[in-house]
Amino acid sequence: MAKTTLAPKKGFLSENPSVLRFLGLLTVFTLIVTALAEGFGAGVISTSFLKVLGMTLCLCLIAVAMDVVWGYCGILSLGHFAFFGLGGYGIGMWLMYARTEGIVRTSLANAPIPATEGEVRDAIASQIFSVVGSTELPFIWGFAHSLTLQLLLIVLVPGLLALVFGWLAFRSRVTGVYLSILTQAMTLALSLYLFQNDTGLRGNNGLSGLQNIPGLLHLPQSTIALWFFWASALALGLGYLLFAWLVSGKFGSVVRAIRDNENRVRFLGYHVESYKLVVFTATAIVSGIAGALYYPQAGIINPAEIAPITSIYLAVWVAIGGRGRLYGAVIGAATVSLLSSWFTGGGAPNIDLGFYRIVWTDWWLVLLGLGFVAVTLFFPKGIGGLFDYLVRKP
Amino acid sequence: MPFRTLMFRALALVALAIVALPGPARAQDALQPALQAFADDLASPSRRTIESVVITLIEQDHPNIGEFLRRYSAREVVQRPEDGLFFYAEDAGALVRLVDIDSGEAVAEVSSRDVTQIRTNSGVQRVIAAALVPLELNAPERERRMAALDAISRSPDASQIAPLAESVERETDASLKTRKERLLLLLQAQFAQDRAVQLSAIAALGGDTSIEARGVLNRLTATVTEVALALPEGANIARVLNVGTDLTEAAAYELLVSAALAEPAQTPAMLREVLAENIVDGRVGGVPVGRLSDPAARIEAYEALEAAGTVPPRAAPDEAAQAVAAHVFFDRYTLDDAEITAAAQAALDSTQQAIAAYQVADLVLDGLSLASIFFLAAIGLAITFGVMGVINMAHGEFIMMGAYTGYVVQLFIPDYTISLLVALPLAFLVTFGAGVAMERSVIRHLYKRPLETLLATFGISIALQQLAKNIFGTQARPLTAPDWLGGALQINDIVGISTIRVAIFVLALIFLALLLYILKRTRLGLEVRAVTQNPGMAASMGINPDRINMLTFGLGSGIAGIAGVAIGLYAQVTSEMGANYIVQSFMTVVVGGVGNVWGTLAGASLIGFLQKGIEWFNPSNTLAAQTYMVLFVILFIQFRPKGIVALRGRAAGD
Repeated sequence: MAKTTLAPKKGFLSENPSVLRFLGLLTVFTLIVTALAEGFGAGVISTSFLKVLGMTLCLCLIAVAMDVVWGYCGILSLGHFAFFGLGGYGIGMWLMYARTEGIVRTSLANAPIPATEGEVRDAIASQIFSVVGSTELPFIWGFAHSLTLQLLLIVLVPGLLALVFGWLAFRSRVTGVYLSILTQAMTLALSLYLFQNDTGLRGNNGLSGLQNIPGLLHLPQSTIALWFFWASALALGLGYLLFAWLVSGKFGSVVRAIRDNENRVRFLGYHVESYKLVVFTATAIVSGIAGALYYPQAGIINPAEIAPITSIYLAVWVAIGGRGRLYGAVIGAATVSLLSSWFTGGGAPNIDLGFYRIVWTDWWLVLLGLGFVAVTLFFPKGIGGLFDYLVRKP
Repeated sequence: MPFRTLMFRALALVALAIVALPGPARAQDALQPALQAFADDLASPSRRTIESVVITLIEQDHPNIGEFLRRYSAREVVQRPEDGLFFYAEDAGALVRLVDIDSGEAVAEVSSRDVTQIRTNSGVQRVIAAALVPLELNAPERERRMAALDAISRSPDASQIAPLAESVERETDASLKTRKERLLLLLQAQFAQDRAVQLSAIAALGGDTSIEARGVLNRLTATVTEVALALPEGANIARVLNVGTDLTEAAAYELLVSAALAEPAQTPAMLREVLAENIVDGRVGGVPVGRLSDPAARIEAYEALEAAGTVPPRAAPDEAAQAVAAHVFFDRYTLDDAEITAAAQAALDSTQQAIAAYQVADLVLDGLSLASIFFLAAIGLAITFGVMGVINMAHGEFIMMGAYTGYVVQLFIPDYTISLLVALPLAFLVTFGAGVAMERSVIRHLYKRPLETLLATFGISIALQQLAKNIFGTQARPLTAPDWLGGALQINDIVGISTIRVAIFVLALIFLALLLYILKRTRLGLEVRAVTQNPGMAASMGINPDRINMLTFGLGSGIAGIAGVAIGLYAQVTSEMGANYIVQSFMTVVVGGVGNVWGTLAGASLIGFLQKGIEWFNPSNTLAAQTYMVLFVILFIQFRPKGIVALRGRAAGD
């Protein structure tokens, strides 16, 4: 390790050609989409579809994180969508606060007496929280006025939650299925907490209107969507690079060894819990960032997004794409989420069997479920496994 | 011979009729003349005039007066305009049959237009009902006595004590007698003239948890919060309130304002209004309007206005605090008699203790029923997950499948009892079949990769859910319980449990016993335990592990189906009902300890009681209770990763 630190980057990239290939493909994809987008180029890709593509890139990013924690470290976490949602809530709070502040200031501008800061805050609070029957700003919104602080929270909140939860869980050596159920319980607790009206995040109304970016209201949505698409692509590229680097070196070897046999690694003198904790926390932070980029494009976030089932879907994407290879996670997430929106959005042609008409909006989930079963049974390596046939290793 | 008997009987009947025929009613007993004395008041009754008439009539003690007043009140009395006589009116087709009030004979049948119906309004009816109470309390029919007691409890007053006390002696029906005695106590506690009687009645009400008794005691101990410069002499004070602990300073100041002892405090909004009214040339009191976004500048501007005399002086910052400190706040009993309120308070305290005890009992019942629901939902999982190590995410969908089986059976068999008896075994068969099919086709390929059963069964789960949606639609389907399960066991006003929950509890017990029996006492159970502990060794002993795994999975799934019918009976059947239970079921199994039926029971009890216990602190927020319960489970697993009932030794596996 000490020797390679002199030129780690070069060695890392040349040792892992797939990373370079992936980054190249991502760049090409971004450029093509930009050229075709409504806000910049030919206008072949509509703004709403551009948003779908941007959101898909965010989902790919969290899938990469999931692959690291599950495919490389062997922790089947059913809680990463909770971190994703926390990131979304983090950015959503600022978006909602700042936009409401703009509205409130405009409406108060005509008042005979200029409003005090306290009055502005009260007006914002009653605008945001009237829907849950409250007029007071909860204390967790204390940083919502500042984008910088709120961005910090997007990293800190999921990170700290993962750190504390992981420390508790790994310390008491909860592993395997039990750990999965424990993370699922964490997700359930968080979504139940957010569903309550009096916990300060508007209960099941969630946060809405997130597609309107304060300060950029004069720009058309097509431009903003493009910016977010670029940001998502950049985040995916950086995240991919970070994790590829993390799992390639010595650290990565230990992590993979933990997946294969945790006890032996422990007997070799490694502090297994620290490794797991680093992986769990790092992936949680990246999930939070992915969420913070996702929800301004989705426009709305509510506690249902954090329900345990979404995290299971995440695991399934990674399994379909192929565990233990980062590009597999990207393929899985992109394939399943794009197919989902194609089928449920009515894009797929319905099939008339004569005696019964298959309407895909009704039957897509059945197909998807059976697809999971088929992949688990027959393609344990997922779609990514197909590449093994193409690229035969010497 | 038969003919002679018949003849004889007919003759006897005629003779009897002649003897029983009422002669002309004796003048002093006839009601009609007495009624004629008040003919005008009776013919057009009003609430004000009718009372004296009714009382006079009752005092004359005519044998038929009770019936007359009842029918009069029910608008069954008419007056014939020609002679002013009153009759009972009975329906006779298109005509009205007039019945003599004294003799009870039909007099004539006339058109309804030929007589005047006397329309008593509700006020009059109330007066009559109250006047009738003493008469009715001793009425021969039980229903009428009961109705009279109802009337008293609806509008109790002091005059009812005497007739009620007198009728208690004459009451023959045991249950009515206790009711009369209680009612008498309630009346005496409120209205008795004799203080000793009242005090003893109040004392006797202590510990009575019924709503009426509590209502009476609460009325006796009602307080009003008041404020004064000093505690008033001789007032019946319940307690003196401390500002800061018993009520906030703001609330205390509110009281002062509402008692007109202080001016309302100036709110920021009022300050802004006043300033806005006094803008002169873009300045308020010399301060430019632009600076007024600063609260300090606003006060400065107001003080400038104050100095100029345009606005009333502003309250000093500590004026409110001083005003509050100068006054004393206290709760005063609305009743002035300290002895009575003290006795009532003591009685109420002992009632509260009884209520607390009953509430604990009720909580235990609630927890028990929730625990049995969790147990039912999780017990199938305890077999597939706990014994076989298979994570069956489709377990919830087996519950749903069982519930829909019950719904479909009800479509074909309209009798709810029979359909339930058919649905239970059928649900078992359907889900047993589904479980076996799933084990054979999917799960047996994944025994070496337990985490991946999660993915595959999750796929099956969403497919089944969507399939149910496609077949049955998204709206909830009813699974109706038979009537004998519809009621509730109400032990008193506080403790009660619906019959269906008792049935679920019983069902859970049956399952526990059945499962323990199968696992511990049968050949199948022996083989199941052998295969779980060491499949290879079991196989070499001549056990077919494939067959055992299949049967075990089928058994777990079948039990989920029966649980589905039970859950469907009290919750509604939707395609998502299974998903609601799956996470909780997993937690139940993990908390209880994997691989052990007793563990599941312990886990279900812990989670059920815990959730109800937390709910008790904040009954309006079940979501919060669930949140804290899940947090507790997370922490619990940290400290006992193997659950409550942890297997030790070789059975524990790795």
